Amino acid sequence: MTGPEEPREPSSRLNRLLDEDPADLYENAPMGYLSTLPDGRIVKANRTFCAWTGRPPADLLGGRIHDLLSVGGRVFYETHLVPLLRMQGAVREIAIDITRIDGTLLPCLLNAVEVRDDDGSPLLVRATLFEATARRRYERELLAAQRLAEESEARSRVVQKVVFDLAAATTPEDVATVIVQRGRAALRAGGAALVMVDGEADDWRELPALRPVRSEGLSRELLRRLKEAAGSRLALELAQGLRSIVLDARLRADQPQLAATMAADGLTDLVVVPVSADSKRLGVLVLARGVPARGDLISLEEPGRHQPLSPAEVDLLWTLGRQAGQALERVRLHEQTRQQGERSAFLLEASRLMADAADVTETVERLAGLVVSGLADVCVIDLVTEHGMTRPVARHRDPVRQPWLDRLREGQPPQRSPMHPGSQALRKGRTQWVRDADEARAMFEAIAVDGGVRDVARRLELTGLVSVPMIVDGRRLGVVTFAADRHRKPFTEADVDVAEQLALHLAQVVDKGQRFEFEARTSHTLQASLLPPSPPRLPSLATAVRYVAATQGVDVGGDFYDVLRLPGEQVALVVGDVVGHDITAAATMGQLRSVTRAMSVDRPTPAVLIDRLQHNWDLFELQRMATALFVTLDPATGELRIASAGHLPPLLCQAGTAEYLPVRPTRMLGAPPAPAEEWTGVLPVGATLLLFTDGLVESRGADIDAGMQRLREVAARSCTTDPEELCDRLLAELTGVHRADDIALLALTRTERPQLPGA
Amino acid sequence: MVFAHGFGCDQTLWRLVAPDFAVDHRVVLFDHVGSGGSDLSAYDPEKYNSLQGYAADVVEICRELELSDVVFVGHSVSAMIGVLAYHRAPELFGALVMVGPSPRYVDEGDYVGGFSRSDIVGLLDALDSNHLGWSAQMAPVIMGNPERPELAEELTNSFCRTAPHIARQFARVTFLSDNRTDLCGLDLPTLVLQCSADAIAPDVVGEYVHRAIPGSVLVRMRASGHVPQLSAPEETTAAIRAFLTP
Repeated sequence: MTGPEEPREPSSRLNRLLDEDPADLYENAPMGYLSTLPDGRIVKANRTFCAWTGRPPADLLGGRIHDLLSVGGRVFYETHLVPLLRMQGAVREIAIDITRIDGTLLPCLLNAVEVRDDDGSPLLVRATLFEATARRRYERELLAAQRLAEESEARSRVVQKVVFDLAAATTPEDVATVIVQRGRAALRAGGAALVMVDGEADDWRELPALRPVRSEGLSRELLRRLKEAAGSRLALELAQGLRSIVLDARLRADQPQLAATMAADGLTDLVVVPVSADSKRLGVLVLARGVPARGDLISLEEPGRHQPLSPAEVDLLWTLGRQAGQALERVRLHEQTRQQGERSAFLLEASRLMADAADVTETVERLAGLVVSGLADVCVIDLVTEHGMTRPVARHRDPVRQPWLDRLREGQPPQRSPMHPGSQALRKGRTQWVRDADEARAMFEAIAVDGGVRDVARRLELTGLVSVPMIVDGRRLGVVTFAADRHRKPFTEADVDVAEQLALHLAQVVDKGQRFEFEARTSHTLQASLLPPSPPRLPSLATAVRYVAATQGVDVGGDFYDVLRLPGEQVALVVGDVVGHDITAAATMGQLRSVTRAMSVDRPTPAVLIDRLQHNWDLFELQRMATALFVTLDPATGELRIASAGHLPPLLCQAGTAEYLPVRPTRMLGAPPAPAEEWTGVLPVGATLLLFTDGLVESRGADIDAGMQRLREVAARSCTTDPEELCDRLLAELTGVHRADDIALLALTRTERPQLPGA
Repeated sequence: MVFAHGFGCDQTLWRLVAPDFAVDHRVVLFDHVGSGGSDLSAYDPEKYNSLQGYAADVVEICRELELSDVVFVGHSVSAMIGVLAYHRAPELFGALVMVGPSPRYVDEGDYVGGFSRSDIVGLLDALDSNHLGWSAQMAPVIMGNPERPELAEELTNSFCRTAPHIARQFARVTFLSDNRTDLCGLDLPTLVLQCSADAIAPDVVGEYVHRAIPGSVLVRMRASGHVPQLSAPEETTAAIRAFLTP
């Protein structure tokens, strides 16, 4: 530097510049000048503007400013600039893009004034344009950043809402609803569906079965195509992650039907979002894009044009998929725990019901009732018996459908069709599981003997069936068949597990029951054969006898009665009870009766008879002790002799009264001998002597004294000269449907005159 | 009578018309949520992402005030909000006055709404680019009434009170809704007031609305622009009066 220059007068050059030609000032101003008529026709433009836009004046003049604007700018010009100029006479700082001749845009800020004549009519619009590339770029960046922040905030809101909604979901259906609705809204998709992997998806399984669980806004046809494609294409997508299946030439070639359906529905692409928890692939969320959902805003995209997903949208969808997966997993675990609890309770209830049941028939009835109240819609139980296959119960949940089941039951005994799952289960000794409606239909086709059966099967709408064989110690006892109709979800592994446990439990009960029933039947047959079919006719006497077996289990009694006509017109009566309730008791009773008969030949008195029996008990090799009441009666005089070996006293009924005779019992038969005491008295004409065993007076929940008191009252009330009628009344009033013990009853009435044969 | 303002405005827009009806009607004025003096914290972007959110508010107002036989006067987009409100609770409404209605702004097939998609994109872009000054400039456009600048001032103030993000969403909801099917099943006396040279809702749209609502009355007004209740309050009042007088 050489130091400050000397101050000078404003130079002549500067003066020349300041006096510059206004035309030059206009033409070369550092801004664009543009003048238009009110209708937008350009009438003047300066050189700067021509240079900026690359358009020569000849190109500009006569054209309209509209031609220099983008479509959006034109709309803005028409709707904003023109009216503003008309109203305010001026606009300032309007952002507008001018198209250069090469097609590029020149971002500008525009100020304009409207030049009016004296009466206010517009004459001309004068506009100045400043290049604002950097400023507009900066503003756009600001705006874009703001948009990004807003979108990010909007996505956060979506995720927050999804998390909130999912937290309230308690079933897979709830989760599906949330994810389908939110996913659809987030992507403004026309429709959405959640397609789930059926069962547990294993990594090694390349083509898992997929099943749409929830959908909205998708056509039925598209859902069908999706289901078809689910086995192949979607399965691949499942393995490949988030994808967009675009309706393009490739899809038309690979999946022509899916492509055609998408085209018909106006879709451009299907977005497939994996739904997973940890590494577990649970399913996919399918979002159909292309048509706006009803009620949504009109899309700014031209219809039918595919719009690639933005990275932010991809992020959001991944998040939705993971959130849904975690929620599904949580709900599944919760559901599993709940179901386990339910199943345990169900099995417990089944055990209780079966334990309370009196016999096999009641057991299967109760079990079938329980099954159709929870586990299945249909429960059929077939049992293998000595007479072949029987079907004691076939129950439907819905009483309206029960008759259809009954018809099926008549038409389809399982042994007739080897294809019946029940037959197969029994033959193979393994559970047979018909998993879906198609399989069920095929199964009925295979086993149906005629069209009627097929029709019935169709009406039952069965969608699943499980047949479990009942096997104990290798013996096949029967088969339990559970079926579900379309009102119920298909059986799961867990259901089948419950069915198998029930069948096992039932098998054990049936096994035990069948053994007991066999034994009981044998005992009762034996017992019946040991008792006299009917007492002999006796002069001047009327007799009635009853033997009633116990109703529970295999209990068979050693109760017996006997009526003997002794030499010399005497009559001997015996009622006894051998200890125990089994075949041995019954056999002992038979032997005791024979021995008593044999020993009665020389007409011992009742006390003597007891003494002899007691003293010779070992000789008879009778295995059980017994109580017994021995009576001799002279029909002519009514003279009675009674002795008791530990037995309940007899009851004397006459003329509306009933009294126990004070017979003092000695020890039971089979106990160490003790002298027997004999009661003697007279049986008046018209009076009835009643001998009975404790089954008549014993009952659960009441002691024997009360029972005897009650017998006395009823007998007094029922007193009649017809012993048959008396027996019937006593049994009717004193015994219920269920009897814990068997009962022997002997009633003898002394009539006035000797009974004539045939009277 | 319930008066509902349109996009970008607030209830003060009715001040030259509503008082006239106060003599023989109970007059209810309100600001849509997000506009005017409304509580901005009540603005829920999800709820107001559709005109249904605004319609639900109208029904709520009528129920809260226990109104019946309501004459609903809706300007611009509020005309359609009134239609949606009627569908939600038909029992509340006795008559409908639609001022400059349009059921769909975007052309589609044979339907002429007056706008193409790119027009709307450009419009939204332009609105965005002119973000800071936009509201103040849009008001006079809508009013189209240069002779009375004091009215423009009134609108400008109203716009200024609208938060930009709400204004943008309201713009989208206004210009991108399709409520044509909602015009079906309107079973109440309906008046369609159509201005001349309306840049927002052209004549063909007014005629479309009239045709779509059987029994509706179409009145073509001399007033120009989109806001006749400010530019021609007498004519507007008279037209509504004539319609309401049996």
